[in-house]
Amino acid sequence: MISIHKETESALLLNLNTSEANLVNADEFKAEIISLFDEHQKKIILSLKQVEYIDSSFLGALVAVLKHLLSFKSDLILVGLHKDIINLFKMIRLDKVFKIYDSFDELPA
Amino acid sequence: MMNSRAKKILLVDDNEIFLKMMGQSFKNHGFECTFASSAEDAITLLNTSSPPDIILSDYEMLEMNGIEFKRHLMHDAELKDIPFVFLTYFSDNDLIISGLDLRAIDFVVKDTPIKVIISKINNILFTIEKQRELTELEIKKAASSLNFKSIPVTKPTVKGFEIDFWHNAYHDIPGGDFIDFIRVNDRYKFVVLGDVMGKKWMAWFFTFGFLSYIRSAVRFTALSGEYSVAAILQKVNSVICFDNILKDILSSLSLLLIDSEENKITYAGAGDLPLLHYQSANNKLKQLNSTGLLLGLMEEGNYNQQEIILEKGDKLFIFTDGMIDFIDESMKKSDYNLFVEMMQPYMTMDDGFTKMKKELFLKGLDQQVDDQSIISIYKN
Repeated sequence: MISIHKETESALLLNLNTSEANLVNADEFKAEIISLFDEHQKKIILSLKQVEYIDSSFLGALVAVLKHLLSFKSDLILVGLHKDIINLFKMIRLDKVFKIYDSFDELPA
Repeated sequence: MMNSRAKKILLVDDNEIFLKMMGQSFKNHGFECTFASSAEDAITLLNTSSPPDIILSDYEMLEMNGIEFKRHLMHDAELKDIPFVFLTYFSDNDLIISGLDLRAIDFVVKDTPIKVIISKINNILFTIEKQRELTELEIKKAASSLNFKSIPVTKPTVKGFEIDFWHNAYHDIPGGDFIDFIRVNDRYKFVVLGDVMGKKWMAWFFTFGFLSYIRSAVRFTALSGEYSVAAILQKVNSVICFDNILKDILSSLSLLLIDSEENKITYAGAGDLPLLHYQSANNKLKQLNSTGLLLGLMEEGNYNQQEIILEKGDKLFIFTDGMIDFIDESMKKSDYNLFVEMMQPYMTMDDGFTKMKKELFLKGLDQQVDDQSIISIYKN
């Protein structure tokens, strides 16, 4: 459910390929992304462009991955969030925890 | 009790006439039908709408046949457990064995009278439902023997206020939402609403841990005479960040302290949705945002508290994210503003919350995708 968009010297740019991120695919997502991190050992920039709905179980998985990466002094950065999802992140203050950008192109140098 | 809602069946067959005829018969027997004229169409449908209770599929279809269709579903964690029955003119034993190996429940020959097919499907669904109920009953028995309730049975009484709540568990299975009303003395009462991330039993088990910590923190704080909801949240969060089991589990929390003597409420939140304050003087619903992060997220949770003054006729609503989830043209979405709009007409009514329960919440159950909980505090 995750594909590699690009790999740079310092980061791994990934696409999450599902329109509905929920309880059913949360564990699979967590396992896949952590295995990619173990393999590449780089900060991860994840595009949620294809995601139209995200439930609390999947938000839990995203936070768990962020905490895992932070414990290795790395980071999980999110891009391409739909308006409804951005609003949800803001409402429950997850925008204070994740670095969020509009798209891969908008990332700071 | 069998669930009384109409059972959803997905009929897959490349013969349009047969599909229509079967659909009409199933509809006449109380089923809700969706149709696909190929396995490919069925897969698209399954990926974009809520799952049916059962799939009844033809074997011989152009492109992908029934066995290939079932094999495809077996590789999809979300779809592999949907009960699947083959409907076919073929009665070849090897074919039947291949299908059953893929965990198809049954093979029905197409010549079978439609009434018999419907009876078979009803029996299969009844057996599955019964099995699920028995399993749940066993877990519920075990849970009740622990004497732990994550949702109160009755509404509390607080001088000067009227408190009510509504809760509905997703798929009737206890989940991650929890509510508590903790009385300290005649003057102070705490209102607790939380949501452990995750669904059904898995989330429910963790509510034990969260509620135990919250109840202890409230008691210890009250014993010391310090009534700060922000301090309680910070204490609970610190303990959870050190708890080896709970530290990877997150929960939202709205914590309110009602002071009946001073007629005021203090509130602090952890990753919770903004509360709604209905101000009767100007007939407006105002959003109240808190600052804190979800419990268990970071050691420094930035918990602040605010004072809420309810004037006579004012109402305060605290709710979990299941209340703002909707299914719109088969797509799920979270829409806080839509929920606010839907509540607005009920604000001026004296029995608004009772009416909302009946007309909004219970009617919206078909669209439910998570636990739903809402608490109403009315200043009388």
